[in-house]
Amino acid sequence: MILTGQEIIKQVHLGRIKINPFNMDQINPNSYNFRLGNKIKYYVNSVLDTKVKQKVEEVEIDSHGYTLYPGKIYLGHTLENMGSDHYVPIVKGRSSTARLGLFIHVTADIIDVGSYNQWTLQLYAVQPIKIYSEMLIGQVTFWTIYGDIKLYNGKYQGSQGPCESLIYKDFIEDLK
Amino acid sequence: MILSGQEIIKEVKNKNIIIEPFEQKNINPNSYNYKLGNQYKIVSIDETLDYKNRSIDENNPLSYISEKGLLIEPGKIYLATTYEIIGSHKFVTLLIGRSSVGRLGLFLEISADLGNLGTAHKWTLEITSVQPVIIYPYMKIGQVSFWIPEGDIINYQGNYTNFNIPQNCFFESLF
Repeated sequence: MILTGQEIIKQVHLGRIKINPFNMDQINPNSYNFRLGNKIKYYVNSVLDTKVKQKVEEVEIDSHGYTLYPGKIYLGHTLENMGSDHYVPIVKGRSSTARLGLFIHVTADIIDVGSYNQWTLQLYAVQPIKIYSEMLIGQVTFWTIYGDIKLYNGKYQGSQGPCESLIYKDFIEDLK
Repeated sequence: MILSGQEIIKEVKNKNIIIEPFEQKNINPNSYNYKLGNQYKIVSIDETLDYKNRSIDENNPLSYISEKGLLIEPGKIYLATTYEIIGSHKFVTLLIGRSSVGRLGLFLEISADLGNLGTAHKWTLEITSVQPVIIYPYMKIGQVSFWIPEGDIINYQGNYTNFNIPQNCFFESLF
């Protein structure tokens, strides 16, 4: 079941949902609008081999904004640190940015229960688009869970700023 | 309500959820990591996909994903499958990618992550990429979550349930 905006506020006050910083103006009927952080990463290589650790470059978005071009995956991040030990957060774009052809996640919108960090956003533009730090870029919904909970304790826990893929580690583990 | 990872384990043991083969180490707090199967098709080499005029090559060949890797090039649609047979008659299946894969700009489903109740098979993955990406057979490429529905259940009777290889679109289902 999805939590209403009013329920999100309640659960934030109870500490069962963590959103830092939290702003009541950003509550919607069933979600919370989050902001874009100021760092962007992109991969140095154009061909990305999942078995190989990929080099990235990081830039900071200044007051003039930053242009995203089609054909490249960019990694942004939420300004807020967010998470919950009780509900599953699911990230969605906002229709305002979707109407400009901006994807903010590629295929994985579910956040593991128990994770708490600035979330990495997988930014992909259909047409060139300029983005600005602190813009209201996406929304998070919270869903109830059925069953015993074992909290997330994985490789992206606590990450700040955009975090590039660590999938190459799976191949190293499989060899062990 | 989404099932927790611990609940997925319980329901696999109860046979209300099918994941075959199942490895407990692939359980996450709210999902199960599935692997990429070893077969794929490319949808069409034609630039415009016109379903009404059947410009899709329905005989597009089935190939094996080499152990040396398969290059997923932007601008093309690749059909592959999950390695596992997955499904449930009791819970709604939702199939997506993993964030590790999303962070490389690899899509595993093109806006259709929702499975039907009652069907269990190897799921066709619709793979596209933003930049070229190299993938490998049997890699942990996605995650599946299970959701409790509300209401009476009539199990899926449609076209895709019988296939365990990458399956093209059934044109009839579009009209």
